[in-house]
Amino acid sequence: MSALISAKGLTKRFGKQAALDNASFEVRPGRIVGLIGPNGSGKTTTLKAVLGLCQFEGELSVLGMDPRSHRDELMRDVCFIADVAILPRWLKVEDAIDFVAGVHPRFDREKAQRYIEHTKLSPNMKVKAMSKGMIVQLHLALVMAIDAKLLVLDEPTLGLDILYRKQFYQNLLEDYFDENKTIVITTHQIEEVEHILTDLLFIRDGKITLAASMDEIGERYTEVMVNPHSAAAAAALQPMAQRTVFGKPVMLFDGVPRQQLETLGELRTPSVADLFVASMKGTYE
Amino acid sequence: MNTMKWLVKREFWEHKGMLLWAPLAIGAVMILFSVIMMAKGHDVGLHMEGPDGEFTSTTVTIADAQSRKMVELSAVGFPAIAAPLYISLAFLVFFYSLGALYDERKDRSLLFWKSLPVSDTTTVLSKAGMALIVVPLVVMAAAYVTSLVILLALYVVLAFKGANLFGALFATPQFWLTPIRMLSLLPVYLLWALPTVGWLLLVSSWARSKVFLWAVGAPLLVLALLAWAEKAFALGVDLKWFVKHIVFRMLGSTMPGTWFFGSETARDAMQHAGTIGREQGPLLMFNEFYQQSWQCVLSTDVLIGAAAGVAMIAGAVWLRRWREEG
Repeated sequence: MSALISAKGLTKRFGKQAALDNASFEVRPGRIVGLIGPNGSGKTTTLKAVLGLCQFEGELSVLGMDPRSHRDELMRDVCFIADVAILPRWLKVEDAIDFVAGVHPRFDREKAQRYIEHTKLSPNMKVKAMSKGMIVQLHLALVMAIDAKLLVLDEPTLGLDILYRKQFYQNLLEDYFDENKTIVITTHQIEEVEHILTDLLFIRDGKITLAASMDEIGERYTEVMVNPHSAAAAAALQPMAQRTVFGKPVMLFDGVPRQQLETLGELRTPSVADLFVASMKGTYE
Repeated sequence: MNTMKWLVKREFWEHKGMLLWAPLAIGAVMILFSVIMMAKGHDVGLHMEGPDGEFTSTTVTIADAQSRKMVELSAVGFPAIAAPLYISLAFLVFFYSLGALYDERKDRSLLFWKSLPVSDTTTVLSKAGMALIVVPLVVMAAAYVTSLVILLALYVVLAFKGANLFGALFATPQFWLTPIRMLSLLPVYLLWALPTVGWLLLVSSWARSKVFLWAVGAPLLVLALLAWAEKAFALGVDLKWFVKHIVFRMLGSTMPGTWFFGSETARDAMQHAGTIGREQGPLLMFNEFYQQSWQCVLSTDVLIGAAAGVAMIAGAVWLRRWREEG
């Protein structure tokens, strides 16, 4: 299938600082892609470019359109939550639903109402009377009721407690996501999203440093809890990272065949968080 | 069109206090005050000043000729009772426009609005339309009702005092035509207020903070610099012209009726109108008022101003589309 988002040589400078430096990537439809990178690596700029919210150099096609020139059409099929918990303070729950129903051709009012019934939100409640978690619930109710082809989430759960965070991703997976939808998500809480992601994009200093599906990650990267007597042999295979757990060295290998590693110790697929830390080594130095 | 309807509703939700309750409250206070004064037996009357002279038709002894004049005057001139509301319109439109594109950036809800399939052009036009059409209509409606209620209360008082003029009032066609004649001033207001609304929307979408200071300070600063340059180098800059055609049009044109200051002929005509009023009756005086209003805004000056307003609104659209918040 052709790519839903296709970016070639995205570059964006703020003064002399490059927020995006010749970044290229593709996102295929029906995937949940995690765009993951350290602070200031260009995540938000990438998303803003995809959403047509900023100017940039390079080629970018989202649903076959250039977001710079076709933003208005694009927004019928693209939805996003940028910046957590920012809805206008004077907005009432029922007005919010009426408004989105009024301006969005793909909004399903019943779906939004059904979702809101499962929360503590009441139709007359104003945003200024809501907790941060409730605002996100309202926003999610609005967004999930939109039958969009692409949903972009920029740190959607920042500042929420663990109950709201878990619920957020659960709703997203159970009630929203299907093979016709694509989600691109950035977050620092990697542990909480890694089980829902199908693809990973690592970004560092405005460059895409890793683009792979979770299956490919499992094939390519292996973590070995190395038996002490094999340590030297393991180190000779040039692990990309090494740490020590209970006195045993744990090494992360990139592209070393599993058969070769089996003799060294216990194998497992690394967590995204470990992979991230290993591949971003030295970012802040 | 449907989107526009929701955008207008949206503005009402956000500015309910300012756009709905404020005019209603002012109208209610005026009515309440009038009724109390009348109930206390205060001497009520309709004092209406023409620019050149004054009509007074006070109560009690209403001779036939006088009562006819009184009915005629009140039937065409009663909207003037609501003058405070028209003055409030200037401030409502001014501050609404100034906040229209700034507030959504300040409370950071801009990205939420931008996540919906509503173009920047439609959004900005909805805000310009609020300032130039919807808010004036709301104020006009409130003003009409207020002045009508006070007028009728006055007639009730007169009836109690033995001069029942209701029949005469209702038989005056002008009395029924008044709302339509008032509506005919809406396009006048729109064209006249465009440069101020355009400038304020532009500042509203551009300034990072302190919108009021930018909106008012920038033209005044330019004026001060021009005055300085004029003093220092005698450049022959016509400061009066600059104040009247630039500064005032950027800041003061939301005040209804100020279009008369803009044109010499209109000013003369309005001065004349007082005489017309005395000699030929109030109807012709008010006719003159409506006619001159229309003539004023169809002048080249005003049309250039309106075009500048449109250009500044286009600038505001562009800024909303491409401005990147840090």
